Order: sequence, then C-alpha cells, then structure tokens
Amino acid sequence: MDLAKYAALFVSESREHLQACNQLLLAWERDPEATAPVDGLFRAVHSLKGMAATMGFAPLAELAHRAENLLDAVRSGRVSVKPEHFELLFRSVDELEDGVARATTGKGLRAEAASLVKALDAAVKKAGKAGVAGKAGGPDETAKPVTAKAEKPAAKDERPSLDVKITVRTDALLRGARALLALRKVEALGAVSRVTPQVSELEREDFDGKLAFRIRTGAAPSEVDAVIRSAGDIAGVAIDLASDEATVDANAMRQIRIDLSRLDALMKLAGELVVARNRLVELARASTDPELGQVGERISRLVGAVQSEVLEARLTPVREVFDRFPRVVRDLARDLGRQVRLEVEGGDIELDRAVLDEVADPLVHLVRNAIDHGIEPPRERVKAGKTAEGRLRLSASRERNSVAIRVADDGRGIDRAKILAKAKADGLVDATAESLADDQLLRILSRSGFSTAAVVSGVSGRGVGVDVVMTRIRQLGGAVELVSEPGQGTAFVLRVPLTLAIVRSLLVQVGAERYVVPLNYVSETIEFSATPITALGDREALVIREQPVPTVHLHRLLNIAGATTTGRRPVLVVQVGERRSALVVDALLGQQEIVVEPFDAPRGMPGWFSGATILADGAPALILDAAALV
Amino acid sequence: MGHTVLVCDDAIFMRTMIADILAAAGYEVIGEAETGAQAVQKYRELKPDLVTMDIVMPDMGGIDAVREICKDDPDAKVLMCSAMGQQALVVEAIQAGAKDFVVKPFQPSRVLEAVQRVLG
Repeated sequence: MDLAKYAALFVSESREHLQACNQLLLAWERDPEATAPVDGLFRAVHSLKGMAATMGFAPLAELAHRAENLLDAVRSGRVSVKPEHFELLFRSVDELEDGVARATTGKGLRAEAASLVKALDAAVKKAGKAGVAGKAGGPDETAKPVTAKAEKPAAKDERPSLDVKITVRTDALLRGARALLALRKVEALGAVSRVTPQVSELEREDFDGKLAFRIRTGAAPSEVDAVIRSAGDIAGVAIDLASDEATVDANAMRQIRIDLSRLDALMKLAGELVVARNRLVELARASTDPELGQVGERISRLVGAVQSEVLEARLTPVREVFDRFPRVVRDLARDLGRQVRLEVEGGDIELDRAVLDEVADPLVHLVRNAIDHGIEPPRERVKAGKTAEGRLRLSASRERNSVAIRVADDGRGIDRAKILAKAKADGLVDATAESLADDQLLRILSRSGFSTAAVVSGVSGRGVGVDVVMTRIRQLGGAVELVSEPGQGTAFVLRVPLTLAIVRSLLVQVGAERYVVPLNYVSETIEFSATPITALGDREALVIREQPVPTVHLHRLLNIAGATTTGRRPVLVVQVGERRSALVVDALLGQQEIVVEPFDAPRGMPGWFSGATILADGAPALILDAAALV
Repeated sequence: MGHTVLVCDDAIFMRTMIADILAAAGYEVIGEAETGAQAVQKYRELKPDLVTMDIVMPDMGGIDAVREICKDDPDAKVLMCSAMGQQALVVEAIQAGAKDFVVKPFQPSRVLEAVQRVLG
C-alpha cells in the first residue's frame, strides 16, 4: 500500500485532533473533576496513535501511546490528576504537533520526546503503585491490549458499526477464555457493545463457543476478521454492516474533504476566467453584433456565479485561528507571571482560507505583545487600582467587504513619551514635536529596526514585531490601526479583505500610466477644482463636507511626467479605518474586477503598491496600497 | 527469535519442561520464579519479552501476579498456563491483562503457537 498519498490527510486530521486536545486540556485544567474532557482527550490521542502507527511513524505512535496510558489511568480512576499532569500533557500535545509535521518529512521526534516518554511512564507508574485499592481487580483495571497498528484513521462518530459473530473451534480448550481473548483483541479496533452472551457467561465450562457483538470501528471488515482470528482457535467469523446504521452512513457521504490546493487552483482558474471575461465584455462593447453582446453578458453572469461559489467554498470561520489562542494565552501568562482572561467574540465570521492563514501569525504577534508589554503583572495592576486579572479581547466583525480583527488589552498602554524620545533621537519625528497621535505612533512602531523592546517594556529581549504585522497585513491589501490609552490599554485592529484573489477595483490614469485602487477603500470620488483647498498642518487639504482631507497628487508622489497639473481633475477619496486621503488623478477609467498576482517589490521601489495585476487588455498594472496613502 | 522469557511455575518439572520447549525453539529463558511474588520481582529486574505464568502458586497466585506486572507495564506479555477446568480463572487472568493462555498437558506445538501469537 502506498502510504504517501495518505500523508496530507494524516497531517490535516492529526492537527484537528491535536487542536481538539488543546481545547480539551484547557477545559479539563479549569475543571479537573470533569470527565468529558478526559474521555475526549483519550479518544483523540488514541485516534492519533492509530493513524501514526498505520503511517509507520513508530516514534510518534509511541509517544501518543504513552500519553494515552496516562489518560487511561486517569479515566479509569487509577490515577488522580495533578497539576503536573496537565503540564506533561500540554507538552506532549506540543511534541505530537511538532512530530506530525516532522514525520511527513521523514524525520523522527526531537530529542525532548524521549524525556517526555519517560515522564509519562513515570506518572503512570507512580500512580500505579499508589493506585486506588478499592478498584483493584475490577474490570476497569484491565490493561487494554494495544495493537495500535491495526487502527485505521477514523472520525470518532462517523465510523460504521459492524455486527460480528464469532465461533470458537469445538476442539479448542477453554473456549470461553478463547472467546474473551478474541474480544479483548478486537476492542483495540473500536468501541464494542452488545456483547452476547455477557462476559460472565464465558466463565462457564458449558459455553457453546458462540459470541456476538457490535463494534463501531474505522477498520475494514477484513481487518476485524484478521484481528479476531489472531486470538487463535477461531473456527469462523461473520461480519455484517449494522442495518440501522446504513442511513447514517449515506448522510455522512454528503460531505467530502478537499485538498486546499485544489480550491486554490480552482480559485486561480476562476480569476483567469474573470480576466478573460473582462476582455470579452470589452470586445463585445466595441462590436456592433448584438448577439455577441448577449453572449458576453450571459458569460459574464455565469463567471460571477462560479466565482462566488468558489469563494464560498473557501470561506472558513475565524474560529479556526481563534481556537489556538486560549492555549497560547495560558502558556504566555504562565511564563510571564500574568493573570489573563481571554474573551473571544465573532468566531463565526468567515474569511477566505488563504487570508485567514496569513492573518494567523500577525495575530500571535499581537497577542504576545499584549501579554508581554501590555498587561501588567498582578501586583502592579492592583496598585494601579485594576483587577489583578488582565483582560484580553479577541474579536472579529464584518465591515463591508473586509473583516476587522481586534486584539485589545486593558494593560498599561504604550509609553508615548519614551517612544517619542526615541523617535526624536532616531530623527523620525521633528525635534519640536510634543506628542504622538495614534497613527504616528503606529508608523514609528512599524518601522523595521525601530528598537521598541527596550523602550516599551524592558522585559522582553525581542522586538515587538509590529513591522512584521504591518508588512503581512499590507501585503494582503489590508490595513492596521492602533489605539492606545495610557493606563487603559492598547488595541490593534487588522482590516483584511474577505478574499485575496479577486478584488473589485477602480482603474485610474496618471500621465500615461494606469493604476488600480481596490474599491474597498474608495469612499467617494469628487472633482478637484470644485473643492475648496485649505491646509492641514503643513499639508494641502481639500474640504469635503466641512472636513479637511489631506491631498495626495499621484503624479508628484509617483514622479510621473506628462500628467495634467491644472484644471478640473478627478479625486478619489480613500478611507482606511478613520483615516482619509484625497488622491488627485488625471482620469477615472472605470471599475474592473482584478486578479491580484503575487508581487515582490523590486529593491528601492517606494512602498506605495500592494500588488500587481493584468488588466482586461492584457497590460500589467500596479495596485495602489490605500493604507500607505492615508 | 532470541526473545527473552521468564518462566513462573511452582513445579520444577513444569518449569524445566516449558524452558526446554522454548529453548529448543530459540527463545532465551533468562529467569524462573516459583511464586507470584517472585515473578513480580523478577519481572521488574529482568524486563523479559514474555512471561509464562502458572495460575495456582503459593504466596501470590498467578492472577494477582499478572495484575501487578501489568500495573507496572501495561504492555507486559503474559501467557497463562492453566489446567483443564480453570476456565473462570483464565477469564479472570485475561481481564487482569494476560495476553493468551495454554492448557496443560502441554503440547509443544500449542505452546509455541501461543508464544508466537503473543510476541506478534
């Protein structure tokens, strides 16, 4: 059997199980008396073990097996759970997570895994000696036979049920004991129920050698058959799919797993279809043939439908990323000596899978910062009249065509005075500046190489990495906003588009050049000469409905010769969060759906662009980064 | 082949016979015990790949010994050696963690089959 083709499935399903493990461990740690999390953990680790063994990743299966032993010991009451067990299990989950990634690249576990295995064993053994005396000898005490290799990857509740009948050879000795042995072996494959006759009947010398039971398992019937026969002295095995399960199975088939790369490819094709459609529509417009116009329109609608279907299929709730944070926050709070309550909201909001993947790392950065630099140690908080426990809010909300993800803490806020002093020393702001507005602060913090660690907290040796966050979000065509109040806390808002691939945009002309501005960020278009000019600080500004909005003359900014510099010219008002800017251009060329192409800015290129695209007529154009212009 | 075995039985005859059957098949008998308590202690010392365990022994019976051994090492491979008419005891031993059983009087082929099943 070629196992390589199962590797991707193995990785994705293992990660799901491990993600679940983290959640369950957290729940269990909060309520050590609860039994549901332990059962869930046991099942998840057990499934992982089976999958790893099937894939031939023995060290991984081994580690899972040891963790499972400890869980089983707790579950069956042989071990009463202690704080150090949680720590051990958290570390095991981390190691398994790491191991899953390494295994598929042909590597074994890290050296740490060996000590973890020892620690897990020790935890079980120690408890075994001090085991609950009253339970000794009960059926729960039985060590389960571990034949992990026979276990198939299986989702716990979707596994089919099999009705099994076995017959022990008539010339066998102690047929009841033989039947029990077969039962014990098959129990390693799944959940056994409806055992007839009851196990106590197997002790009778006149047992007739016939045993029936139902098993819910992911293993193939042939595998179940083989495992039963391995007990020896088995004359016959009959296996049927349990009849009352048939309908459930049919429903389970209505959902399938799709490799993300397939959806990526589909999305890319849909994107190319959009470009081709744009071209077709343009040709149809220039033609006098009415039929071409009709066909063009019809294709246009169909392409739109295909595009939204594909997008729909790629939408993923942000919960998938948010779910990591309870664990991240717990670990960080522990390491840094903070008390933190995490509140999560808006987990149901959906985003394109690709966008979500890109947002995950920046969010981790921001959450780390909030705990490391924002939320104060408990004593300091109490002294400041706050609760000892800090609050960290992670929330998502939908805004037009974008999603805003907020990371807000109620910590000490960013120390503006120190940042200002440092920025002055570095020559980043005017020496006479007396304060920093939020957006200035963000701009300074997001300069790569601006050493913030020492200024902001003096605690951490690492930089805060706002520059990394900024770069990643801008590459997505998104924007970052910062609000920080001394003593009240800091909030970062990441605004990202719903999807990466196809963006409704406005095409503008400056001189002989054409540029693309994503419509997400265009709040209105006006005319230049008709609008009163004023000054905002030392910048030129337009007054739009009595509000001054700073102007950006694109031909100056981009250094383009031959642009119109006088007379009535169109102006695009772009808005990112609360900030606005009026872009003065030569002409508006209309709306177009564009497909964003990966873009590596050449060295020395000014940072005004977030990507590139191919226009309907086949010419390339750069996409203006609204967030950089406001 | 080359697996290590601990043989537990209160009768020297039985121990010798089992040891001979196993040795002839290439297994290495690295220890013998004549009580359940001794079996548990020797298991900890020798960490054998397989244990053959008589059910009825003085001091501590085979079933209690299985229970103790499996508590220490849930993966312990213990093969029970029983007599006819001990079905209830064998059932109990399996529930305590024994992996297989053979029934006296021993047929060498039967013993080796069971050993191979247990060692997988």
